[in-house]
Amino acid sequence: MSDLLAPGEARQLGQNERYDTVAARNSRFAAGEMITVRVRRSDAASIAEFRVPYRKWMRVLDALNWIAENQATDLAYRWFCGSKMCGTCAVRMNGREVLACWEAVEPDMTVEPLRNLPVIRDLVVDRAPFERKVAELEPWLERPVAYAGFPEPLTHKQMKNASKALDCIGCMCCYSACPVIGLGDLTDFAGPAPLVQLGQTALDPRNDAAKVSRSLKLTGIFNCVSCYKCEEVCPASIPIVSQVIEPLKARAVALMPEMAKHSNALRSVVAERGYVDPSALVLRVRGLKALSNLPRVLRLLIRGKINPIKTFLQRRTAASDAARQYLSRGDRP
Amino acid sequence: MQILSTDVVVVGGGAAGCYAALNLDRQGIKTLIVCKGLVGKSGASIFAGNLVLAGRGLGNTEEQARNTAEFLVKYHNQFLIDQHWAHACGRWIENVYYAELEEAGLYLRRDDSGNVVTSPGKIRSLAANIQGNSGVPFMDLRRKQVIRAGISHLEETVVTALLRRPDGSVCGVFALNIITGEYHVVLARAVILATGYSDRLHERSTGTREMSGDGIAMAWRVGATLANLEMQWWHTNDIADPPTWQRMQVYPNPMLGSEKSARMINSAGEEFFNQQQDDPLAYGPYTVQLKALAKEVHAGKARYDGGYYAGFDHCDPREVEAYTSYGKGFRQLGLRFPEDLVEAAVTAHYRQGGIDVETKTMRSSIPGLYVAGGLGGHSNGLIGLATYDGKVVADGVVGDLPQLAPAVLHETDIQREMQRLESLLASRRDGVPAATVKSAIRTMMWNKVGVEKDAASMRSALEDVETVRLDLLPRMSVTRAAKSMNYEWLDAIDAINMIDVCELIILSSLERKESRGPFMRRDFPMQDNTDWLAANVMVRTDNGHRFERRPYNLPFFKPDFATKDNLEVAW
Repeated sequence: MSDLLAPGEARQLGQNERYDTVAARNSRFAAGEMITVRVRRSDAASIAEFRVPYRKWMRVLDALNWIAENQATDLAYRWFCGSKMCGTCAVRMNGREVLACWEAVEPDMTVEPLRNLPVIRDLVVDRAPFERKVAELEPWLERPVAYAGFPEPLTHKQMKNASKALDCIGCMCCYSACPVIGLGDLTDFAGPAPLVQLGQTALDPRNDAAKVSRSLKLTGIFNCVSCYKCEEVCPASIPIVSQVIEPLKARAVALMPEMAKHSNALRSVVAERGYVDPSALVLRVRGLKALSNLPRVLRLLIRGKINPIKTFLQRRTAASDAARQYLSRGDRP
Repeated sequence: MQILSTDVVVVGGGAAGCYAALNLDRQGIKTLIVCKGLVGKSGASIFAGNLVLAGRGLGNTEEQARNTAEFLVKYHNQFLIDQHWAHACGRWIENVYYAELEEAGLYLRRDDSGNVVTSPGKIRSLAANIQGNSGVPFMDLRRKQVIRAGISHLEETVVTALLRRPDGSVCGVFALNIITGEYHVVLARAVILATGYSDRLHERSTGTREMSGDGIAMAWRVGATLANLEMQWWHTNDIADPPTWQRMQVYPNPMLGSEKSARMINSAGEEFFNQQQDDPLAYGPYTVQLKALAKEVHAGKARYDGGYYAGFDHCDPREVEAYTSYGKGFRQLGLRFPEDLVEAAVTAHYRQGGIDVETKTMRSSIPGLYVAGGLGGHSNGLIGLATYDGKVVADGVVGDLPQLAPAVLHETDIQREMQRLESLLASRRDGVPAATVKSAIRTMMWNKVGVEKDAASMRSALEDVETVRLDLLPRMSVTRAAKSMNYEWLDAIDAINMIDVCELIILSSLERKESRGPFMRRDFPMQDNTDWLAANVMVRTDNGHRFERRPYNLPFFKPDFATKDNLEVAW
């Protein structure tokens, strides 16, 4: 059955649900057929390769367990529950983040530790940077008014976004997949996982607005480029961008407009002009300070990146009307 | 080696351990948690599917309140429970528990109009965020409360021994940080063991990776009395394949906002269990299910390790998925939900018995050693009960602290423990891998001390225990000599606890000469309320052990027969 796949095709198949359904992924082999598992290990110069006999509905974790019991007894990998609850067994399989206990094996798979966190040994990463950030964000409830007693007034509608965030098991798949976190210290972005943890209480109507503002200030949330990588890999199927990060950004805009200076400026430039005018955007965000780097301004002028004439003389157009109309559709609080 | 000093050390970071630590901290007692996994992320508590509604809470009728209490005593503990403790616990759950959790921020699931969603019927329940997954936000909240309170916690750190004062009382723990390989000695005036009620002693077990009976093994080594260790519970509806999912349950309890619950089908396609129809009082119908399955196994229509099926094919998908996470496993396997059933198998679940405690303070028989949660021999699980224990043990310890002397550091004991651990690390490289030893123990327990057992199978198991001790343990090998991140070394440490606990369980099982609830003996099939409505107490003596039988008081509920075939008793 493994001849269904040519070597190297697995990654593509894993991603392409159109011709590799979940059902197909789960029934690719008969019991006893061998799969190839390559594991990136800390001590080894090259990636260690193992042949593992398939078991019905085998998960990546089953394969790792088999290897640790039979071939590499010193393999280091972390797991506790084996059923998508503890969120400690995430790895990268053929280049994408998966929960080892949850994902079906592939015929030829390379298993590596998560990115963006220090590797302690083999597949075990240090969760400390995430834990530190979460603790710093203080993702808990501070009530502006005293608790009313059980059951307090609260509807699911009010908790709709927080409820999604509460499905988070802290597995770090999103943190590993996030390209902005991958930039390291270049930004102060907290990352998707800490934001989802924060969203559990920051999107809860019972929380104090001042408390939420304090936490949001520490998130660098506007560094998020909304690439949806986090959402794509989330084993808990949390709509991380649409139902957590975007609502958190909206909350930040409402509570602290100064935090969203760049995105507010972009928005008003688009609303006024119907397109992104770089010089208008830079002037709005940086003011006259933007002119202080004259060589840069000249470079931009020469390359046609900015056009002051257009910026200062352009008139209202059909595009700007459409943009204004679109942007005023009430998608912000 | 790091030496730490605190008032109280809590071993375990689940519902009982966290709540004990939070309560002690609130009362100004310096507390430190040592957790073999991650606080609030490993262990049994994250598996809580939902929260049973006790007492008159949320519009429960007098009858529903009584049903819940009756369920707890009868179906959940087969009368092997201190009913006064159960009564006090029910009152606390009704008056304190939900409010404490909600005030701290737990989202007890509402509908769009703001009503708390419950399961209807004779016993009601509610969910934290989503039914089937309540334990995750519940324990996540506890984790954050521990962080917010600034309570010290050593994670991925295994306690390998209890430390004692010259008079034999317990005054601290010796621990190994699995990640760094560093030793920790934590000195305290009292130790609370809260290592949970589930472990991985059987081939199929709900216990998580790190659970290996450590609490029972260490308590027995310092002489603590045990009770009802034989009262092993089983999940009947756990997913048969893949092996990793052995603790994933097709929840049989009533569903939130629905009159229905999962059903079970034998290999001939006949339904043999459906809780809401068959026994509405069996809210957590594990024993009722197990007995129904035993009859199918006897009829050749199912096996304990598979050959029968469970699911929601009689339900409207919107009904199942409105408030539950029950579809996730089916979908991940590519099954149609809810049309398809999934093959199920039995999994060893929690143990009703454990360390014998005095239920007003959670003292064990050894001064300085306290127990909370499922590890105690006083009751079966449920996250509410474990949490209540956290409160009771905190109050008990606070009351006793003035009488508990500061810890005494015994260099020789610490040297001996270090040598014990390091001898495992230095063990021969060409021997039997520690993981293989663990597997051998689990296979032995599954085959000979499984759902149905008798004196012959258990005596044979005791012989296997001796063989493991004399043959396998001395040859147990660890390939890497480094102390940090050495899970093989941890496996070797675990294996020794596992084999000791298995022996205690087998001896206790041989001692109880009846069948009761999930405890099924082929050679004693009758439930015997004349002689065995009693705790099976195992006392450590100078030259081994002795058993005592301690009858239970029955102030609120009592069985209505003296002797009956256990398979014909509902609970």
